[in-house]
Amino acid sequence: MRVTDLVVAASIVALALLLSYAMFLGGIGPVPVRSELRTLALNYILLTYNPAKIVYSALAPEGVTAIVWDYRGLDTYFETAVMFLAIISVVALTHGCKVKVGLGKGGMSLIVKTTTRILMPLIVLAGISITMHGWLTPGGGFQGGATIAVATVLALVTYSIDTLAKHGIRKRVLLAMRSTGLIGIALTAVALLIVGLVVGANAYIFQNQERVGSPLAFPAYFSGTPTGGSLLFYNLFEAFAVSAGLSLAIIVTSLREEEVKETLRGEGVE
Amino acid sequence: MNELIPYLLTVVFVSFVINLVIALYGIFARPTLVKKIIALTIFSDSLNSLAIFVGYRVVSRGVPAPPVVVNYTNPQGPAQLARVAVDPLPQALVLTAIVIGLAVTLFMVKVTMQVHRVYGTTSVRKLEHIEHGNKEVKEEGVVE
Repeated sequence: MRVTDLVVAASIVALALLLSYAMFLGGIGPVPVRSELRTLALNYILLTYNPAKIVYSALAPEGVTAIVWDYRGLDTYFETAVMFLAIISVVALTHGCKVKVGLGKGGMSLIVKTTTRILMPLIVLAGISITMHGWLTPGGGFQGGATIAVATVLALVTYSIDTLAKHGIRKRVLLAMRSTGLIGIALTAVALLIVGLVVGANAYIFQNQERVGSPLAFPAYFSGTPTGGSLLFYNLFEAFAVSAGLSLAIIVTSLREEEVKETLRGEGVE
Repeated sequence: MNELIPYLLTVVFVSFVINLVIALYGIFARPTLVKKIIALTIFSDSLNSLAIFVGYRVVSRGVPAPPVVVNYTNPQGPAQLARVAVDPLPQALVLTAIVIGLAVTLFMVKVTMQVHRVYGTTSVRKLEHIEHGNKEVKEEGVVE
């Protein structure tokens, strides 16, 4: 056993040294001690809000959201699909479990409950604010949705799972919300294609502003403020889907022993 | 001062790598599934931080700025930003990776909970000695 430990320790140290040496020599590109941007990053920054070169631009001042939902929109779409696959797997593991009312003692003390009641709307508001400024300041649908899901976690811990169920935050509702968000994203991705079919013009999937060979575009300004075109809709639906999906996964994960064991026995685990 | 910044950045860089390797040790060597999950989250967080770090840059004048065009009404705004902005691409990749990582971690936690409910243990060394169809862990049959 001692020899094994020694071998493990030595191999770990060797791996650390090798990895850091390889990375320092340029294994993952230039080390960040540099004063110039990479050409790709320079292009993204120069083109993310550029009305003069509208064919290459997303017309959104925030570079990260422009990359996430415009330049690399298809990547993000499938990353979202991976995320919802994980959430659906969590839900499928507890298929048939029902929340039982009156199992626990009904949550924490009155002080914690009152504080949570004051805090929860503020958290949701902050999440909405992060979402709705996603194309102007750092933020967006993912971050806003994750922030809104924090409110659910807080309520889950402070109150109890059956209080949430009593107030309508149930599995079916959250699943419907999550699916609505995902359908919204898919519809936004093909919206200009549908418009192009009706009008008779060329269009692309995940098109935001007008591109080479396609004059169609989402409205880029709302009363003088840039909206980022399709980025507004993507952020909105993504926040919807992420907040509902993460809340759903957390609620299902915190199902109590009595609720899950019955299903495990009923489905014949042995 | 000019030598100090690269030195400190190198220290941060190497510490990320050491963090990664320790997390790998946790994933491979610890027997409990819970500790494997914890090590995996440490691994992914270190890797995300490393990706952000690769996008960092030292600017010659001023401080590095996030890739947001603040004065977008000015036609020179993006060009001004390009002098101080950091690389937006690693941030965009890490952003989705974090949210996906949260969902996948929840899935792993859920599976581990079910394993514990069915077999009464989360140690992979004990789990491999459980015969098929035998739910109880035999105390004397366990080889640690």
